[in-house]
Amino acid sequence: MHDLLDDYAQTNALRDVSPRLKLVLGLGSILLCVFSPSPVAPLIAALTMSAITVFLAKIPVRLYRKLLIVPLTFVLFSSLAILFVTGSGEPIIAFQAFGLGLGIGRDSANIALLMLSRTLGGTSSLFFIALTTPMIEIFSILKSLRLPDVLLELSMLIYRYIFVLMDQAMMINSAQTMRLGHASLRGSFNSFSMLSGVLFLRAWEQGERLMVAMDSRCYDGRLDVFERRTPIMLHGTLAVIGYLAAVAAIAFLTRDLRLI
Amino acid sequence: MASILEARNVRYSYSDGPEALRGLSTTVEEGKKIALVGPNGAGKSTLMLMFNGILRPTSGEVYFNGQPMKYDSPSLRNVRRKVGLVFQNPDDQLFAPTVYQDVAFGPVNLGYPKDKTERYVSYALSYVGLSGFESRPPHHLSGGEKKRVAIAGVLAMEPDVMILDEPTSNLDPAGSEEIMEMLDELNSSGKTMIISTHDVELAYRWADLVLLMEDGKLLHYGPPSAVFADHGLVSKARMKLPAVMEIYQELKGRGVLDGDRPPRNILELTNMLETRAKVGCPKVSPGKIYLYNVDRADLKEIRSFLDSGSAKYVGAMGTSAKMTAEREKIRLDFTFGVIDKSILKATTGQSSLIMTSGGMVEHAMRRIEAYCDEWGAKIQVSVLNASVPNDPEK
Repeated sequence: MHDLLDDYAQTNALRDVSPRLKLVLGLGSILLCVFSPSPVAPLIAALTMSAITVFLAKIPVRLYRKLLIVPLTFVLFSSLAILFVTGSGEPIIAFQAFGLGLGIGRDSANIALLMLSRTLGGTSSLFFIALTTPMIEIFSILKSLRLPDVLLELSMLIYRYIFVLMDQAMMINSAQTMRLGHASLRGSFNSFSMLSGVLFLRAWEQGERLMVAMDSRCYDGRLDVFERRTPIMLHGTLAVIGYLAAVAAIAFLTRDLRLI
Repeated sequence: MASILEARNVRYSYSDGPEALRGLSTTVEEGKKIALVGPNGAGKSTLMLMFNGILRPTSGEVYFNGQPMKYDSPSLRNVRRKVGLVFQNPDDQLFAPTVYQDVAFGPVNLGYPKDKTERYVSYALSYVGLSGFESRPPHHLSGGEKKRVAIAGVLAMEPDVMILDEPTSNLDPAGSEEIMEMLDELNSSGKTMIISTHDVELAYRWADLVLLMEDGKLLHYGPPSAVFADHGLVSKARMKLPAVMEIYQELKGRGVLDGDRPPRNILELTNMLETRAKVGCPKVSPGKIYLYNVDRADLKEIRSFLDSGSAKYVGAMGTSAKMTAEREKIRLDFTFGVIDKSILKATTGQSSLIMTSGGMVEHAMRRIEAYCDEWGAKIQVSVLNASVPNDPEK
């Protein structure tokens, strides 16, 4: 019916790998991307994390490409802005347009490239976590990290009801489309505002029914987390440590390298 | 029999509307199957929520096990543990992100230790035939599976009474038959069952007693044959006659059938017609019904029995029997309404085998005996593995 990241997280080929290991790999890679002073390490991380997601976790390439397009267009436009706006350093290109003198400085080119690579690396690491680790397993990790129970229970309930409300939103949307609610722009605005209003009320009612449901089963302030026992494999752990160490080493060795 | 739940002159009104219950009194006896029937807005759901202590009557009193219900937390906890409530829409009831967490919710809140919780959850899930679904999120389940998880969540608290609001709504016909059979099985293990339904066929066939409600009041309370024989009552409650009853009354009106006892199901109607039609005809010698207890299964034995061709039809009753059949790749002819269908086949001279488990073996024997007594039929029933001693380990 619809492509949900969570559905892929439930079924991907790395489903049975310990979620802690996957989280360490993803988060470690994000941190390295953020702290690396040169674009080399983040670019390598972006390539390798994408390769792991597509080849090891067997996430369809088409879906992955579609997912990447959104952050990619966003970061491309921001890079363009940085390229022209923060004009310092010796100019590498200078031209006249619209009666303005525009130019790209060496420094701004470097900053734009660094940002581009960090975003790419970070995004692909985040997608790796989102596509290979189901939320329910992240909950049990959060529990073991001593996150307050209130926060954890709330997030579990929210997670569950996202899907219920999303189904309702989609049904309302179909009902509106069926009766030509989206035939004109004006109509679309109208339909959307109606959908939002109705959805808010439904969420409220659902909340009240939730209270009844919990009460009728003796709610006493306890919602257990689900723990699946996935043994941490030695070679997997070594591979993750090795990978992160290699990326860290590259980031350190290329710290003064500038591509432009 | 002792009354387990009782309402005495209860009234209730929601804050924004007229009274939903207007002085209703009724008693629910232990171990019975009761169907609440009535038009939309008759107050069925309100009454159900009241039996579970969720709603407190504005006046009047609810009694549980002979004691007036108290509304402080420890008493409510006790009532809610003993009286399980299954909602109509499983999405209202399944709030945890995984099946395991949802079924474990009750036991965890009752303060059971981890290993005990796990034991109860795995028992409840295997009872509803969903072992192995623990890590699934509810939005990946079908409607029937969600309903089963909802039932398992209540079952894990070991209730004495189970109340189900419209248990078969939104299910396909075979799915709802399976749910109803599961409720039968639970009832035969001693649990009192209360369901609400608009499905007259189901209420007529399934219930021991029908509680007809209208406009917040009790219209009639009695055995289904009495309730559904009364045209006035049925139309007042905006119901219709069950097909079997309607055919019976038509035929009776034309003088084809007589007697005062309407048939409960197709089996009984067929018999009435057959006795009329076959006056003077030579009788077919009835077929046999074999029962097989899968709890003490020696599966080689059943294989050789099936190969011998003694039984033409095979049916399975209950989740564990169905699972055994699936594992052993035994082709099933009947998966619901098994006893009735086997008797129907037996009266036409064909034999069948019923696979089932535990207390359901005795239940089936009682049912067939009762049928034979009533209709003067001579159907031989034998339990295939009766001689095998019960394994004390099981």
